[in-house]
Amino acid sequence: MLNGFMKKFSGKKSSKETAKKRLQFALVYDKLEINEMTLENLQKDIVEVISKYFEIDTKSLQLEVQREHELSALVFNTPILCVKKNKGYNSKT
Amino acid sequence: MEGKIIVVTSGKGGVGKTTATASIGAALALEGNRVAVIDMDIGLRNLDVVLGLENRIVFNIVDVVNKRCNLAQALIRDRRIDNLFLVPASQSDNKDVLTPLGVQRVAKQLKNEFNYVIMDSPAGIEKGFENSVVAADEAIVICTPDVSSIRDADRVIGLLYARSITPRLVVNRIVPEMVARGDMLSHEDVMDVLSIDLLGLVPMDDQVVVSTNTGMPLVMHNQSLAGQAFRRIAKRINGEVDLPIIVPSVKTGVWNRITQKLGLNK
Repeated sequence: MLNGFMKKFSGKKSSKETAKKRLQFALVYDKLEINEMTLENLQKDIVEVISKYFEIDTKSLQLEVQREHELSALVFNTPILCVKKNKGYNSKT
Repeated sequence: MEGKIIVVTSGKGGVGKTTATASIGAALALEGNRVAVIDMDIGLRNLDVVLGLENRIVFNIVDVVNKRCNLAQALIRDRRIDNLFLVPASQSDNKDVLTPLGVQRVAKQLKNEFNYVIMDSPAGIEKGFENSVVAADEAIVICTPDVSSIRDADRVIGLLYARSITPRLVVNRIVPEMVARGDMLSHEDVMDVLSIDLLGLVPMDDQVVVSTNTGMPLVMHNQSLAGQAFRRIAKRINGEVDLPIIVPSVKTGVWNRITQKLGLNK
């Protein structure tokens, strides 16, 4: 309990949080047989495309794989700050 | 009689499959059912010692499947618990001596004579696993709250779904103090990671080792917390579906309860 107190205020992550994160990633990779690199590259590409049309908050975006039974879904979450006025045409001009 | 065949499996070894099989089987018999527990771990049998029936083995499951004896000859009746029977594994063969077809034939026979048939699957996902699940109507997946066991459970769950069996999960060896400290995955964490329904939560309990030492079924010890958890699991299997799942908890004093409320123990 004193431990909990210390952890809460030292901002240190508990070992179970680490375990859960690692597990979630491991299970996704096991199933899709992709690695972290691929996901990172995918995220970069998605951000690039979306940024053509929207101003997005690149700091708080999330790419995760959600699983239900035998199905996996890629979920990309990003706060949109505003729509770019020149809707994607800037690449042509 | 048209009984149910339930396979107990885990992928990873050493998470408590055999203890769970023995305990759930014994508890179902205590509930008044006719129960057979089958050791499918050919070559590495252990269900017999856990149940304290190792001195009474004459025939085994391989003999039955390969028609060297009939089913009745291989069934060992437990003298402490009415209506509990064991079919032991063979210790000398390897896992290839059984065929899914042969197992299915014997399973059909077992279903006619028992309310519940509990199959103790070997670790792994190879032939021994195949033979254990081939006749199963239901499946119980056992895991402990650690990364390797959960990862293997996920694999097994996938294999069961592929066979149209919807498994239920038992999280074994929960240490409430460690969960409270944030050093062990809670059952909620486990459920977040695995897509499966929960059947029960079993706390870590020294009595498991003691009862294995003596060959006395765990569920016969009234004081054993793990034994109580398995009895509740058996009741849930036996139709009391709404029996609440008790989360193993630290014996709480006032101070613990206050800090828990404040979220300091998470």
